[in-house]
Amino acid sequence: MALKTKTLKTALLSAAAALLAGWTAASAQTLVLYTSQPDKDAAETTAAFSRRNPGVKVEIFRSGTTEIMNKLMAEIAAGDPKPDVLLVADSISLELLKKENRLLAHPEADVANLPAEAYDRDRTYFGTKLITSGIVYNTGAKERPASWKDLADPKYRGQIVMPSPLYSGAAAITVSTFAARPDFGWGYIESLMKGNQATAVRGNGAVLRSVASGEKAYGILVDFMALNAKQKGSPVEFVIPAEGLTAVTEPVAILRTSRNQKAAKAFVDFLISEEGQKLAVGQGYLPAHRKVAPPAGYPSVDSLRIMPMDMAGLLATIEADKKRFADSFGQ
Amino acid sequence: MGASTGRGREDWLLAALVAVTAVLAVAPVLRLLLESAFPSAGGGPAVAVLSQPATWNAARRTLETTLGGTLLAAAIGCVMALLAALTDVRARPLLVFGFVLPLMIPPQVTAIAWLQVFGPASPLLKMLDLAPPLGTRNPLYTREGIILLLGVHYAPLVFLTLRAGLRRLPRDFVEAALATGASPLRVVSTVIVPIMMPSLVAGVMLTMVSCVGNFGIPALLGIPGGYTVLTTLIYQRLAGLGPRVLSDVATLSVLIGLIVLVGIWLQARLLARADYRIGGTSADPPRFELGRWRPAAEALAWGLVLFTFVLPMLAMVLTSLVPAYGVKLTAANATLENYRFVMFDHGPTRRAFVNSFLLSAGAALALVALSLPLGWFMARRGGRLLGALAFASELPYALPGVVLAIACILLFLKPLPLLGFGLYNTVWIILVAYLMRFLILVLRPVVGAYQQLDRSYEEAAQMAGARFAFRQRTIALPMVAPAAAAGALIVFLTAFNELTVSALLWSSGAETLGVAVFSLEQGGDSTYAAALAGLSVVVTIAIMAATSLAGRRMPKGVVPWRD
Repeated sequence: MALKTKTLKTALLSAAAALLAGWTAASAQTLVLYTSQPDKDAAETTAAFSRRNPGVKVEIFRSGTTEIMNKLMAEIAAGDPKPDVLLVADSISLELLKKENRLLAHPEADVANLPAEAYDRDRTYFGTKLITSGIVYNTGAKERPASWKDLADPKYRGQIVMPSPLYSGAAAITVSTFAARPDFGWGYIESLMKGNQATAVRGNGAVLRSVASGEKAYGILVDFMALNAKQKGSPVEFVIPAEGLTAVTEPVAILRTSRNQKAAKAFVDFLISEEGQKLAVGQGYLPAHRKVAPPAGYPSVDSLRIMPMDMAGLLATIEADKKRFADSFGQ
Repeated sequence: MGASTGRGREDWLLAALVAVTAVLAVAPVLRLLLESAFPSAGGGPAVAVLSQPATWNAARRTLETTLGGTLLAAAIGCVMALLAALTDVRARPLLVFGFVLPLMIPPQVTAIAWLQVFGPASPLLKMLDLAPPLGTRNPLYTREGIILLLGVHYAPLVFLTLRAGLRRLPRDFVEAALATGASPLRVVSTVIVPIMMPSLVAGVMLTMVSCVGNFGIPALLGIPGGYTVLTTLIYQRLAGLGPRVLSDVATLSVLIGLIVLVGIWLQARLLARADYRIGGTSADPPRFELGRWRPAAEALAWGLVLFTFVLPMLAMVLTSLVPAYGVKLTAANATLENYRFVMFDHGPTRRAFVNSFLLSAGAALALVALSLPLGWFMARRGGRLLGALAFASELPYALPGVVLAIACILLFLKPLPLLGFGLYNTVWIILVAYLMRFLILVLRPVVGAYQQLDRSYEEAAQMAGARFAFRQRTIALPMVAPAAAAGALIVFLTAFNELTVSALLWSSGAETLGVAVFSLEQGGDSTYAAALAGLSVVVTIAIMAATSLAGRRMPKGVVPWRD
């Protein structure tokens, strides 16, 4: 028994020592990245960056965009924001930080091959890929929707699921895009939500689960989740609606408080370079870069119809749209 | 050694305990209040949020689901505790084990499993030809659905605390009542329930606070159903951004605190009327013979285990065996590839298991060490200060995890004053947050147990000259050990899969199991996530079985599934 207690003690002590060892202070050559990329993608991206920039060690905090922004806001409130670089799903949050003068401009960034909608005019944030939202359906479903307007048909009543704009940035942009267009407007959103009793769930992952399992037959979902699931064998199909897709750009930005601005800029440059973009393609994303071909199985970027949207206008209305959504549909 | 120095030593101990508890329970809440009253973004206190109808709607709904969920959990937990502790149902240890296990399944996993079971895609209902047509609204996307899941998920809390109390039920009381001709039902209602009030109330209080603060269940059932409670409203606000979000959220958290306060006031009213102290442990609690009712009681008990543990587990295991989500599982396509990936190819898996094990076991042990003396003072000395401290300890558990995490960031971002080093971006900040969050889960059952403990034994020992520490160790401790162990077990199981707190506080190398599963889930890899969650269940069961072996050396009743 005495011996056992001793081994247990040694084990606990060495475990504690291992935990302590993880307690390393940030050195000057450490780049702190907060990102909402999936685990594997984030690890690949930073590994590729480190190969190009051997002197820089990247520390990652990975979580949902909401969690990242909460953490950052708390750090700002406590007076010491930690990250050098942010890489999150949509530009709404970054636009807000820009307004508070918390982003560092990077005027030397090479944006020659990025479409103008993909980066901020003042060069404070840059889109790194195109994440579009379209229609997904279960292959066992009766109908084959071809357009957003189809989803408003009574045939689809009770069978549609979408991410709630109150919890997902990409979904908030989708709803605000609809709301801003005269041919859609709030009438369309009401016919989806009230007329067809669409269900709004928390996040895109929940939409995929619902449609793949057949709980609901049709959904609004981001492209890569639908296409990756389909490739693995899930019974789902992704549709580019006739009116076009909505899109977010997974932008990257440098904080003004960054302690390592040179490395931060190098990281941004890497992400929007041809090499960084090819890496994103390898992970199953649509590139933002014009000269990089999309992944196999994806339609070419030129053939993608993205619904035209005025980002600045959307940012002005998005909070009001969310409130209206919450009030109208009993959230 | 004179009596006055003994008392003086006790006072020093009490002061130290109060100081530690104040840091754990009061500091995070105070920091949030500060954010609510003086937002760091500038401007006045965030009261605007209190004038919005959505806020009061959500508060009312939180009350409704909490009340319903708590009542249901209390009913299920009581029936199960009485069956398992006082009757002759067969295979009792296995039954107890099966009824405790659901605690370690994260609520959202249970919710997803039940949605599948009752939805149009349900394999079970399809088999029975009862599946509702495609497009039918799932009946769980309602207030009643939330109440049902809360009740079922938290019933083990009532069960564990009550069962720990029932271990100490004096056999002679029950035998006396039976001998004078009282029916078993009458014995339960006039002897057992009144004596067990402190344990029962402790379990019910834990359940109530858990229901108020639960996010996973209303997020999965309430968001699609358009039924917003305070925790989901807070998350909505947090997703909404804007410089004043933090102060709005802090203000909403105050509402949660008020609801908890009402519950505590009720509890005080319930317990104020009587004295519940009873003598020492009985050698063996009494057992009622169920006779011809036994098969029915066993069917009921195992039916509950089936619905609360087997069904959600089955859904999780089935998901972890398919190559892709939504594919029908057949003998031909079943695969262990998901398990292979998370075990060998997925870097964070090993670290996450080690971290979560050390964090949850460490938190459970530390909280027992703190709660045993603190609980004694709370039950014996009482007073305003200790009463306020008991209330404060409820709050970090009642707040949504993300809010507590924000409070921890606000508190610990800068290096600690005087000490010169920081907790931030280390695994220690998660440990501190767990101590804050789960303190009440041990403290509440321990206080309940002390309240049932007759002080004459301790007084006799004191007269005989036994010092405080010696009295504690030889007299009080063995009698409250089952309650403390029940609390520690609840902490371990809850913390092992914890997500919402660590989602904001983890750092490179310090990921927890919850974070690892969440990361896979968010990337759309539900099958990998299911495999990792399944693996964690296997590991937990192994750990629990191991404590069973160690339990041989411990006082009776410490390991709940050992008789």
